[in-house]
Amino acid sequence: MHIPDAFIPLNQAIVYWVIALPFILMSMKWAKNELDEMKVPILAALAAGIFAIQAMNIPIGMGTSGHMVGATLVAIVFASPWAGVLVLTLVLLVQGFAFGDGGITTMGANILNMGVISGFVGYYTYAALRKSLSANIAAFGGAWLGLFMSAIVCAVQMTVAGTFPLKEGLIAMGTFHLIIGFIGEGLITAIVISAIARSRPDLLENKFGAGSERTDTEAFV
Amino acid sequence: MNANNMKFLYAGIMIALVISVLAPFLASSDPDGLESAAGGVIDEARMAELEESEPVVGSPMPDYAIEGLGKGGEVAAIALGTLAVLGISFGFGKAFNKKA
Repeated sequence: MHIPDAFIPLNQAIVYWVIALPFILMSMKWAKNELDEMKVPILAALAAGIFAIQAMNIPIGMGTSGHMVGATLVAIVFASPWAGVLVLTLVLLVQGFAFGDGGITTMGANILNMGVISGFVGYYTYAALRKSLSANIAAFGGAWLGLFMSAIVCAVQMTVAGTFPLKEGLIAMGTFHLIIGFIGEGLITAIVISAIARSRPDLLENKFGAGSERTDTEAFV
Repeated sequence: MNANNMKFLYAGIMIALVISVLAPFLASSDPDGLESAAGGVIDEARMAELEESEPVVGSPMPDYAIEGLGKGGEVAAIALGTLAVLGISFGFGKAFNKKA
């Protein structure tokens, strides 16, 4: 879903950068306030893993492929969508500048879609589902919806840009990402969360338990 | 630095590097969701125009490849990217983390 430069006119691309910037700054503020030194290795491990897995495109049929985005996974592990925004910003910076994957002008839109929308929708859907469902299923549902919604927003941006017609764009983006969200995002997120729950249950405990560190964003849940 | 968290880091690095090595061989080369949607909903002339347009800023390893190095170059490019993200996020985390 990495939007190349040519898909959005420069003036609109700048608008998305301006919208994305406060989110990027807030994610840095989150790191300053909530990320203690002990958790830096966890953040780095997830960021590296997400960069690598984004190179692994999975075929979904219809001559199309897709890959995991990962913002929901990071948000769940750190109990904050800001962590997802931060990691996706760092990953997209490297992808854009070193590999030409996603434009530089359109990086604001890409951070907005894959970091902010996917991370926030994914995390809060997970948190809502977690109240009555297991962590695996809640993670699957959150990750799936987060990716799907970011694709819908991307389709609308493509229409505003004059690149896609609205209805056809929504149908095509929606259909492909419904499936990509299922396999690439939901399934992998659930598998990683259950692996972490087995090997490091302490990492996932801080979310709904009492007394441990909580993030300010959780006050809304 | 908590020892268990360092273990998590080493496991993460190992998994990421294994994926880096496998991706050039296993990853689908079909267009992704956005490109595929573009191919379906944009008329051919405009699509050709979009495909030909150069990125605004050039990159050293476009399309996760190193010119002339084939699959080995792709493995190296993805592994380099993985290590770059690792280093940047580790450095960023160290610089920005909560000071006790």
